[in-house]
Amino acid sequence: MSYKDKIKTDLFPTIWCPGCGIGLIMTQLAMVMDDLGLDKTNTVIVTGIGCTGRMGAYMQFDSVYALHGRTLPVAEAIATVRPELNVIVASGDGDIASIGGNHLLHAIRRNPRITVLCNNNEIYGLTGGQTGPTTPIGTKTISSPAGATFSPINLQGLVNTNPNAFYAKTTVYHQGQMRKAIKEAIEWPGFAFVDIASQCIENNGRRIGFPSANEMLNFYKKEYRQAPPGSTQLANRQLGTVRGRPAGAEPASVGAGAGKGSGEA
Amino acid sequence: MAKRLLQGNEAMLLGAVQAGAGYFAGYPISPSSEILMAASAHAATHPEFRFLQAEDEIASANAIIGASLAGAKSFTATSGPGFSLMQEAIGYAHKLRVPTVFIDVQRVGPATGMPTMPGQGDILQTRYGSSGDYTSIVFYPSSVAECYEYTIRAFNCAEESRSPVVVLSDAFLAHLNEVVDVDAIEVPVVPRTLEPLASGSTRLFSGVATYPDGEPATADADEYIRQYELAKATRLEVAERYAFYEYGWNVDAETLVIAFGITRRIAQPLAPHFALFRPIRIWPVLQDQLRAIAPRYRRLVVIEGSDGQYASVVERVLYRDVHRVPLLGGRMSLEAVREGLDRAGLLPPELAEAAV
Repeated sequence: MSYKDKIKTDLFPTIWCPGCGIGLIMTQLAMVMDDLGLDKTNTVIVTGIGCTGRMGAYMQFDSVYALHGRTLPVAEAIATVRPELNVIVASGDGDIASIGGNHLLHAIRRNPRITVLCNNNEIYGLTGGQTGPTTPIGTKTISSPAGATFSPINLQGLVNTNPNAFYAKTTVYHQGQMRKAIKEAIEWPGFAFVDIASQCIENNGRRIGFPSANEMLNFYKKEYRQAPPGSTQLANRQLGTVRGRPAGAEPASVGAGAGKGSGEA
Repeated sequence: MAKRLLQGNEAMLLGAVQAGAGYFAGYPISPSSEILMAASAHAATHPEFRFLQAEDEIASANAIIGASLAGAKSFTATSGPGFSLMQEAIGYAHKLRVPTVFIDVQRVGPATGMPTMPGQGDILQTRYGSSGDYTSIVFYPSSVAECYEYTIRAFNCAEESRSPVVVLSDAFLAHLNEVVDVDAIEVPVVPRTLEPLASGSTRLFSGVATYPDGEPATADADEYIRQYELAKATRLEVAERYAFYEYGWNVDAETLVIAFGITRRIAQPLAPHFALFRPIRIWPVLQDQLRAIAPRYRRLVVIEGSDGQYASVVERVLYRDVHRVPLLGGRMSLEAVREGLDRAGLLPPELAEAAV
């Protein structure tokens, strides 16, 4: 088997713009699936609305293309009814952190065994490039011509409110690290969130000064650094993983390793 | 099981379990909360039955769609405001062709309204609440025994029609206690019709218009119409087998009362003076039955807990004016029915005198 067997290559070319980062995520996901033996009999993909949502349609799995923002309730119910399945959510930042924000809060709280791959391009790409929940403050977009007004949402902080959850930060430039993070997330026995910085050249990057997708990838290469070993919290533009304690492994009040704001009394 | 005292809400949970439901998600809201609580109690002793008290009704509705895709017959229960929040998901379930059951225990709206008072103001919401065109199937029982029976039928119909089916109730019916022997109510159960996720297929369950291979069909009217007509034809064909209604009382009277749900029960003392048509299948509207029965009567009157929602549908179907007795603000009583009939000039003299 090859990772290519996980993808419906007959549907290529994809609808994604040249230079888009989503295809890189799909490829790494397919490679991890191949490594772990994930196939159409043991895995389901749930995607949200946005460019990322098309990912399920291009993969050789049963796939649910959910309503905007509603991947998590769908995914959690699937995992509840069929606990033996691997349930993988692919969603954009706008889908999961804005319109789906309440579900994100509560999925983190309930800690179902699902893996979330968040294509975090800091923009509403599919609708033309409006400010999203992760857009950095000051960024000029078509819905914030004077610069985005508010600070981006703290995804790491949200995920780490549950000391049993898993959070990883990666970028589409750091392919090896991304693959490792996705693999570990799928194997995590609870809620796992992989926050993937990814370029939207057409509806964001070019407007904020990047001539091409290549410069955006170079930006990730230059700006992002591995977090020091043993980090319990990732700083801005640090790559790494914040593992909680798997649920039931230890009493909630003992041990170290959870991120800041782990909710411990 | 012998006869027992049962509440409308409890009977609906029992009906769902009898129908083979394996998953419930819901959010507390009066007057439907007893269904959620009974589902939770059932899950505690039946591990194969999964329960989620979700963060809101949007999550509940989407969760039951996910659960159904995964292989479990699934349902939720709510009331008007929550039912409004579920509308997008109901449209999604129509688009995906996923069997699901939505119970809507009506109270007085709009908005938060009168949370513990009975209403029937969701008749049109059950038909047109989501965006776009779709074909709804909706049942409305009018006794505790029927709450049990029609919940089972709703699950059956959902499987056969591959669509979200709604069971209406109201605050009155939900909290009505009646003696019922559920074992005496025998409804054959339809098995699952949807191949569960991860059975080896590579299907795409998409809310977006797509071709069968998963490619977007978002600008292809012919493909849209093909899929829409197919779904509509299936639903209408299946609904024909569920064309439940009641026709009776004094069929020789001059006036036909049209009433459903708890309103029909309230109006029972009028039986000697009026004929009755009670639609149990609210949608698709029982057009053929109405057109066959209504011409026998000089006057038609719709008694309902809304300002003419069903009356407007009857007028459209019959091309004929009907009298309206709206029971508003939770005032669903025989007295209010009498007053309404009197205002419409439809109260027989002997009843008018009796009321004095």
